[in-house]
Amino acid sequence: MRKIFGLSCILTILFVVPTVQYVLAAGDEPGEYLDRRVEIWNLFFRLMTVAFVIGAVVSGTLIWLVLRFRESNPKAKPTKYEEAGEW
Amino acid sequence: MVLEIQKPRPIWQIMFSTHHTDVGLLYLITSLAALFMGGALALAIRLELFLPGSQIIADSMTFNRMFTVHGTTLIFLFILPFASAIGNYLIPIMVRYKDMAYPKLNAIAFWMIPPGFALVWLGFADFTWNAYAPYSVISAPGPAADMWIFGLKILGVSSILGAINFIVTILKCKHPDLPLSKIPLLAWAYLTSSLIMIVAMPTFAAALLMLLTDRLGVSGFFNPARGGDPIAYQHLFWFTFHPEVYVLVIPAIGFMYEIIPRFSRKPIFSHGSGVAAFILLSIVSFASWAHHMYATGMSFTEKTVFMVGTLAAVPASAMHVFNFLATMWGGRIRFATPMMWSVGGIALFFSAGAGGVVNTAMPLDFITHDSYWVVGHFHLFVMGTIAFGSFGFLYYIFPYVTGRMYNEKWGNVHFITSFIGAVMVFFTQHVLGLYGMPRRIFDYPPFPEWVAMNQFASIGAMLLGIGAAIFLVNMIYSAAKGKEANMDDPWGIGGKYYYPYQQKNPHH
Repeated sequence: MRKIFGLSCILTILFVVPTVQYVLAAGDEPGEYLDRRVEIWNLFFRLMTVAFVIGAVVSGTLIWLVLRFRESNPKAKPTKYEEAGEW
Repeated sequence: MVLEIQKPRPIWQIMFSTHHTDVGLLYLITSLAALFMGGALALAIRLELFLPGSQIIADSMTFNRMFTVHGTTLIFLFILPFASAIGNYLIPIMVRYKDMAYPKLNAIAFWMIPPGFALVWLGFADFTWNAYAPYSVISAPGPAADMWIFGLKILGVSSILGAINFIVTILKCKHPDLPLSKIPLLAWAYLTSSLIMIVAMPTFAAALLMLLTDRLGVSGFFNPARGGDPIAYQHLFWFTFHPEVYVLVIPAIGFMYEIIPRFSRKPIFSHGSGVAAFILLSIVSFASWAHHMYATGMSFTEKTVFMVGTLAAVPASAMHVFNFLATMWGGRIRFATPMMWSVGGIALFFSAGAGGVVNTAMPLDFITHDSYWVVGHFHLFVMGTIAFGSFGFLYYIFPYVTGRMYNEKWGNVHFITSFIGAVMVFFTQHVLGLYGMPRRIFDYPPFPEWVAMNQFASIGAMLLGIGAAIFLVNMIYSAAKGKEANMDDPWGIGGKYYYPYQQKNPHH
């Protein structure tokens, strides 16, 4: 779980912070011309790509989990917690 | 637990009791009444929008009144009281205390709801559940608007009293042998959502007073004609009600944390990450309120700050989803009705969250602002996640409340009709928004795409209505004549129950 959280933080830093910093900082520098709408649309498309990839993976995992670990699945077996009476 | 049906008591004994399960039962019945009343208004709205032109509602003013009361009822009178009901039943048992910290205050908090309920319904205001200025100040007809303001004031105080009670019960009344780190995640959900409530709600309480004095002509806080600023009202409103979204959703996630390990026959994957995610969500809930207001002329920097603040909720929400998936992984899952609702709720929570990420990106927000996309997005949260989690938990707690089992087959039918219905209505509304249909309209031009999508959404709403009817019959019939539940293991899945009914706290 810690790894997942770390990965989420890295993704946020990779995609959001640099763009925001660039958009905010570049406007203050003389001679720099920046179309903020273009930058923000770029950020949007990158976020959408990430969102759809993660969405597809998570949704697919959820569907697979439901099918694979339902108790009526022939491969289903008691969990180790059931056997140890720890649950 | 209260085995009311098996051992009935005179109704006045329950009504005037301060015992936590009795107050919980009162909350539960009130919230379900609100669910059906607010749901009936939703069905009327969808029937009206089935075709362009006036269908069953006479005029736009009546339409406005209906969706105002629909939203107010389902948020303040169904979701919040339902969460209070479950909290009243379980929190004292989970922290091993004899009752809520302040039983009389608990009963008072509940008894503030009926007058608030009556004021909202008898007034039938027309200014949407946002009550945005300047319309609410200058033009909204009284006494309906004033009754709504007083009603919300009472409901807000009730929520604050309830939140104080939950916080004190969890922090100060828990058993000395029970460290905070070991209390169940549902109790953590109530602790964090109650803290959010305490911080957020007073702002709206102040805004309501300012609105009322503006309407009375005493002040001009939000009245442009008197130098006031209507946008200030929006800031005050959303400072309360964006965090309030988390007040609503966090208990629903807590419900899933009870159900998913139980029916997966495994302990929760990571208790610590669940706690961390609740705390993170409660903090970032205050970093995103102005994303509702991009179109009000905020500066680019402000909008960027609130966009990033909104996105900060994604990792915390993802931690919950991954925790659920990791718990199910390697389990032996019984897809009884509560589990079906929880898994469906996770799927729709994820979809609603994805829509939220899109919506918070400024460029798309300008396209979707005030369109049906927004309606689809927040309904996917409140219906697809919060109500799904609540329905699941209601089925889960049903044997403990009544001593009987609900009908499993009809519970499944309720879930399937509701899941299909929710997807049909709320996904379609997203697309309708992208096709340009504005929200809060009584009539629309007969564009073929709009008509077709509205009809599709209305059929989905009818499915939701059929599911709700099945649910009502199932609850009433099963409570009266259902099979007697095996109270040690109602679903026959084994394991040790966390709150067996034998732990019933004595009445006082």
